[in-house]
Amino acid sequence: MLTALILAPAVAAIVVALIPSRRAELHLPLGIALSMVPLGLAGYLFWIFEPMPGYQHATDAVWYEPWGIGWTLGVDGISLPMVVLTALLVPIALGASTSISKRIKEFVVFILLLEAGMIGAFLALDMFLFFVFFEAILIPMYFIIGIWGGERRIYASIKFFIYTALGSALMLAAIIGLAFNYSSQFGVTSFALADLMQVTLDQGTERWFFAAFALAFAIKVPLFPLHTWLPDAHVEAPTAGSVLLAAVLLKLGTYGLLRFNLALFPEASVDAVPIMGTIAVIGIIYGAVVAIVQPDLKKLVAYSSVSHLGFIVLGTFALTSGGLQGAVIQNFNHGVTTGALFLLVGMLYDRRHTKAIADFGGLQKVMPVFAGFFLFMTFASIGLPGLNGFVGEFLILIGSYATVPVLAIIASFGVVLAAIYLLWAYERVFTGEPDKEENKVLVDLSPREIGLLTPLAILVLVVGLYPAVLLDKIGPSTEAVLDHIESSTDFEVPYPGRLDDVFTAGGDS
Amino acid sequence: MQTPDVNWLAIAPDLALALAAAIILLVEVQWKPRARILGLIAAGSLVVASGLAVVQWLAAADAVAAGNVSVLSAFSGMVLMDGYAIFGRFALLVVTAMGIASGWQFFSDLGRRCAEGLALVLLATTGFSIMVSSNNLIMLFLGLEVGSIALYVLAGLTREDKKADEAAIKYFLMGSFASAIFVYGVALIYAGTRQLTILGIGDFLGSFIVGSPGVILIGIGLVIVGLGFKVSAAPFHTWAPDVYQGAPAGIVGYLAGVAKIAGFAAMARILLTAVDDFDWSFLPVISGIAVVSMLLGSVMALVQSDVRRMLAYSGVAHAGFILTGIAGSSSDGILFYLAVYAVQLVGAFAVVAAVSGPSGSSSDIGLYRGLSRRSPVLAGSLTVLLLGMAGLPLTSGFVAKFGVFSDAWFNGHEWLVVVAVLASVIAFAFYLRIVVIMYMEDDDAAPIAVPGLVRWVLGIAVLATLIWGILPGSLLNIVADALPL
Repeated sequence: MLTALILAPAVAAIVVALIPSRRAELHLPLGIALSMVPLGLAGYLFWIFEPMPGYQHATDAVWYEPWGIGWTLGVDGISLPMVVLTALLVPIALGASTSISKRIKEFVVFILLLEAGMIGAFLALDMFLFFVFFEAILIPMYFIIGIWGGERRIYASIKFFIYTALGSALMLAAIIGLAFNYSSQFGVTSFALADLMQVTLDQGTERWFFAAFALAFAIKVPLFPLHTWLPDAHVEAPTAGSVLLAAVLLKLGTYGLLRFNLALFPEASVDAVPIMGTIAVIGIIYGAVVAIVQPDLKKLVAYSSVSHLGFIVLGTFALTSGGLQGAVIQNFNHGVTTGALFLLVGMLYDRRHTKAIADFGGLQKVMPVFAGFFLFMTFASIGLPGLNGFVGEFLILIGSYATVPVLAIIASFGVVLAAIYLLWAYERVFTGEPDKEENKVLVDLSPREIGLLTPLAILVLVVGLYPAVLLDKIGPSTEAVLDHIESSTDFEVPYPGRLDDVFTAGGDS
Repeated sequence: MQTPDVNWLAIAPDLALALAAAIILLVEVQWKPRARILGLIAAGSLVVASGLAVVQWLAAADAVAAGNVSVLSAFSGMVLMDGYAIFGRFALLVVTAMGIASGWQFFSDLGRRCAEGLALVLLATTGFSIMVSSNNLIMLFLGLEVGSIALYVLAGLTREDKKADEAAIKYFLMGSFASAIFVYGVALIYAGTRQLTILGIGDFLGSFIVGSPGVILIGIGLVIVGLGFKVSAAPFHTWAPDVYQGAPAGIVGYLAGVAKIAGFAAMARILLTAVDDFDWSFLPVISGIAVVSMLLGSVMALVQSDVRRMLAYSGVAHAGFILTGIAGSSSDGILFYLAVYAVQLVGAFAVVAAVSGPSGSSSDIGLYRGLSRRSPVLAGSLTVLLLGMAGLPLTSGFVAKFGVFSDAWFNGHEWLVVVAVLASVIAFAFYLRIVVIMYMEDDDAAPIAVPGLVRWVLGIAVLATLIWGILPGSLLNIVADALPL
């Protein structure tokens, strides 16, 4: 099942690659059609997923025995939303790529390979396998930015590649080190996550390994001050690239922190709470403040990602039920809303070939449907109650208040700032009278574009109004993470940080 | 008087190659056939030699299974027929075949000198094949010289080309200097141990406490320096960029590939088998050379504007990575690395030769602009091979690096591994630079035709890179059996 989920897009990529280049009109529709297969599989996986701790549908095949590496896959409540999100966004991103004219075949192939890598990274439970996917993703993304990007695409693509490769290189060293410690303690070599979690490390080593992993993921997230590659990559990437970059690739960083740092280095994670929390909050405020002054719409959304992902990291290192659940659900939500915002900016760019806020004004009058979608996604991103962003950020703030109250209070200003930069941008672009000639002739959304945005809008509403649809499946897994930390360290989640605390308190009163 | 134990099988592949070289020269004198005939003779000898190597492999496996390892040592312990030697020889044969095939344009353009070229290639492979299988240091030196001298001549085979002459002279001077240093080191090791065979030295140092090890230490140092020249490890790499750039494009891949395989196979055998009891003395030196090679090679490769020079400096960096494997005393990891790297190197130089054209000697990076449109085959293959050299996952290069790095870490060289992974990141930058130029910049120069043989070589190199990257067990299981005696 999970293997099929990874192989389906890879096979689809091969199929598209085999269609001759002169049948250029076939590649995109075929790619979209084939990407429905992983979407269907992911939907089915979501449907049959049981809300309980532990990994489901696990696969474990030996890859090369003497090295202890294996094709070990499994899905739990933490990875499930991300797999669904990835499978959902790829067809949408492809559908938004009709304006790509050159080398459409290679484009579709790279997007599908990217999908295979991303799903693989979320499902891998073997550190070697995870690293392979984590690093292999760079190649298609590098080409997507570098070939189909904007003017400074080459600079942006190389910067993206080198930054992320630098982080993961040290993580590779730490993975080897972990495996070495495992083999000296247990007598066999293994790279399986479940095995490596049993390694006992002395404090210094554990902190070094934690730092190496955290660096790799912090660059990916990206956390302040390692974020400088992100605006470049986003601005230069084509729309589909931006969507997948923001919605899925960055989540590999937050996912990695939650999945691997907390599980492998519980002691160091507990010690790192103040540091990681502080960095996260700096990112929240910094990203928001910088977003306010951006003259470029795409850059604004990019910096808003820095801010929003800071929330997710804060929630992760709050080490409470609320924080972790909020982090996981916000991983999903941010992918939906920011993915939609990048789509919208891309649609605007296709029409007007500019992303500068100053070039617009009064678009509400000429493109009412577009403005409606934009406002809706803006509200979702700000965290208006009833929409999905509210659920995640509220959980994160509640959850982190139990552990790091000061940071939680500061972080809550990030929500206010988000309202400022997004609504102000909305005001400048959409309200008032259309004063520029070029803007008066813009066409509103086509049915195709509405079709791309509608599923995302529905998700925003569903998760916002009935978050249990996701939280029920997430909860057991995040509780398991906390159980693991509590059992392997002296740390105890402060009252009332655990779900049980909340329920007991409710029962008493 | 004792007659030596003759085991023809142990040297049969080498004999086949040497014989074929002689036949090619004689046939040329007598009948002056077309180049194609000579090529077929060379190809035939490579097939025969590979077949004999397989027979050797099976015989060696039987002997090991029967616990009768003494038959693996032949000619009074002059040469060995252990898995290590046979694997090294097989890798050399494959690289030779790919080298001749990818450079066939060059050989057939040589006209009447084609026979010389082919004979020299076969002789070079013979020499290096003896080098990887010899147990006696003098024998090893002979193999080294037979191989190296043939390569010096090959580098200058196009006498009309001044750059090639310069490359050949430089290669010859530096190379013979290195050989002299190597043989002096051998002499000092002999002076300290009264032993010339690798196994004998190992036994001697393992069973006696050497009162004054100074002579031996200097000997080890000189051996490392001498072989360091051959494998172009920094700071003994200065000849490599000029030779790679000046030598005829058709044979550079072969020249670089076989020298690396033989040099490292011999170095690993000497250091890890003969003088392994002195590892406290040479491991710091090896680590130091490794660090310098990795960093200097990667950084210098960044600033090159000529693809061949870039590949030369990347070769210096690769030498550093392989030395990491020696620090990890990982003989199987080194063999794996050598095999995959040599195949990638020959493939990459096949592309370089095709892009430079049969007559052109320039390999400026500008020639690669927009290559993805002018020749998708060349650009695609070079991309896979470069990503393989860079060590991206799902390519054999990643598995190779992972193997030597993890062995080095398991052997207690954590910091070496950290430096190595960082150097790999620097390396990404210059490999990507070529990919950028091929795919992300456009140029409307004429499309490039790719000869059929080159297509085959590229196909094999690309497939090997991907298959060994995705299913590494297919080769790792073999090198795991290819242990030195």
